[in-house]
Amino acid sequence: MRKNQAGMIKISPHTGPALANATLQANLKNTVGKVLHVHQLAVSEVANWQELRCHAEQVKAHTLARLHFYLQELEKQIKGQGGKVVWADNAQDALDFVVELAHQREIRRLVKSKSMLSEEIGLNEALERERIETVETDLGEFIVQLAGEPPFHITAPALHKSRREIAQLFSQKLGMEPSEDVQQITATARTLLREHFLAARLGITGANFAVAETGTIVVVENEGNARLCLSVPETHVVLVGIEKVIPRMADLAVFLKLLTRSATGQRITSYVNLINAGRREREADGPHEFYVVLVDNGRSRLLVDPVMRQTLHCIRCGACLNVCPVYQKIGGHAYQSAYPGPIGAILTPQLTSIESAPEHPFASSLCGACAEVCPVRIPIPHILLRLRAQAQRAKNGKAARVPAEKWAFQLWAWSMSSPTRYSRMEALLRFLQKLFGRDQGLRLPFPPFSQWLRRRELPALAPQSFRQIYRNRKVML
Amino acid sequence: MSRSAILERVRRCGTGTSVPELPQKLPEFPCYQDAAAQFQSALQAAGGTFLDARSAGTLGSALERVLQETGVHEIYWDGHHVFEKHAISYTLRDPQAFSQSRLLHSFHYRGSLQFPLLLNSRPYQLQHLAKISLAVSSAEYGVAETGTVVHEVRPGSGRLLTALPAAHVVLLNDSDLLMNHADLFPVLSPGSTGSMTTLITGPSRTADVEKTLVMGVHGPQRFYVILMKSDQAEKRHTPP
Ligand code: SF4
Repeated sequence: MRKNQAGMIKISPHTGPALANATLQANLKNTVGKVLHVHQLAVSEVANWQELRCHAEQVKAHTLARLHFYLQELEKQIKGQGGKVVWADNAQDALDFVVELAHQREIRRLVKSKSMLSEEIGLNEALERERIETVETDLGEFIVQLAGEPPFHITAPALHKSRREIAQLFSQKLGMEPSEDVQQITATARTLLREHFLAARLGITGANFAVAETGTIVVVENEGNARLCLSVPETHVVLVGIEKVIPRMADLAVFLKLLTRSATGQRITSYVNLINAGRREREADGPHEFYVVLVDNGRSRLLVDPVMRQTLHCIRCGACLNVCPVYQKIGGHAYQSAYPGPIGAILTPQLTSIESAPEHPFASSLCGACAEVCPVRIPIPHILLRLRAQAQRAKNGKAARVPAEKWAFQLWAWSMSSPTRYSRMEALLRFLQKLFGRDQGLRLPFPPFSQWLRRRELPALAPQSFRQIYRNRKVML
Repeated sequence: MSRSAILERVRRCGTGTSVPELPQKLPEFPCYQDAAAQFQSALQAAGGTFLDARSAGTLGSALERVLQETGVHEIYWDGHHVFEKHAISYTLRDPQAFSQSRLLHSFHYRGSLQFPLLLNSRPYQLQHLAKISLAVSSAEYGVAETGTVVHEVRPGSGRLLTALPAAHVVLLNDSDLLMNHADLFPVLSPGSTGSMTTLITGPSRTADVEKTLVMGVHGPQRFYVILMKSDQAEKRHTPP
């Protein structure tokens, strides 16, 4: 979470620059379009997609209601197989553990695969302060790390960069011959990261699921970097949010199908790693130490309310980002949080506080595309509305609207409920448009509308209404 | 203590609300008339190569094709169990070959493979592992739905031999070919054999640059599955 000096996470200062950035807009349009296309193909191939979603939702709802039981079961299973379980109440606890472990083992550089949780708690920054270097090994993460930026997307961290920009970055930072050949870029990263892998003594990964019944940590990936992070080093640390636990192995069939199709449009990813322990006695390799860090960091607070709790169903597929008209325009960085897009809009204020992220619930058009696409059926728009009420209450001390807003809505309702009133209102607006309007759209430069329109643009009204055109045509006929 | 604090908070929040039942049945997963054909098409869609060696004595030619395509002369074997499971005959050159922490390998000049294999071994070292071009392992299961194979770490073998090389070949018995993931996960019990189980589908890949697909980022660039008949036996030679 990237707070400003006042301790707030603000979206508004970042939207304007993002919208004005032509390169960003072009890159976004190109890549998001591709993502949406493959997603559509992968989902339409599954006849009982809705049934799978319901199943997953039900499993999640059950698990979260009995989370204390399943967490203990998970702990028991992991410990029983020789792993160590560490509980972290908040970000600091988790950071302290990793930093201390690295110091104890005298580790100056470690390898890491993708983990949203590590972004959430600010792991790389904390390690950097202790002069411990973190090497991001996922290609996308590696690129944004080179650029000194946070990830742009949950599953595609460098979604916003064109191959040209990446080629420039590689030639600047790595002294590579400038090449826009994606094969070449990938090969360079492979060679460089291979060296880091072979020298690494500590590997950190995230987890997509943790299966309570067997004590299995599930890491889903395509590149094979997580596999190396958790195989080469002598110590493997997994960061797991407490909401990641699922009761049974069997349900993975459903969750994997939903996750990979939603995330990248693949039937399954290249690798699904199921880890139960560090190296066993007669095995040839693998880490000697295996730590599972269970992180709360505000999650348990969300459990109080059964509606808001559904936020914790999220399996971080990123599908809601891709379909979101707001994300498609402002991009991932504007959200100033590890979690962008619709899921970020509901998760960020809940993990921190509504006071520190009051804008997030409003960064949405409430079109509902996110809820429709979400593989675990999180009612994101509904939760957004609840958070908007909370934000309003935090600001005004009450959830009620300001009088001007109330009147505006009454006026709207009044004019929309009769055809005559509707066409009168339309005529009035058209007149106002002639009076104040400029080419791009309707302007209403008087209060209370001017205030409301400060951050909004109204589309221009057509010179003639449909009824008018229809009437004229009829005359012509 | 974080542990008790978290658990206490979680329990308090959880009580008072009704607990939705855990669904007892999995939703339906697709079944296929010809599982092998589905496996082949799904694997190919994921960028892998399918080789059919179900008729007796064809493992050799399948492997030869791999050697030719990859231009490699040396095969590293994931362990003793590969020979056992697929009844591959071998002779040991090296008396220590099967001892723990040694890599088993065989040489094949001019791409021609001969049974029985002449097996050598060398110490298991990371730097050497990183230079290996071709590894052959055996799958616990295959899944037709997605063209997936299941690799389990076993006593005497490890995680890295199949993760580092440029090419990875998996031998799969047709009796281990399951229809879909709903058939797989209920029978999978990770942790019971080895410390890690991996579902592998095709080569290592990325689409992190402009969503353009590239094969072979950190793991194998080429990935082969050779389907075999489970009762098929290359003539077995007893180790001298
Ligand atoms: S909220 Fe739903 S769609 Fe969005 S990332 Fe989470 S699981 Fe995916």
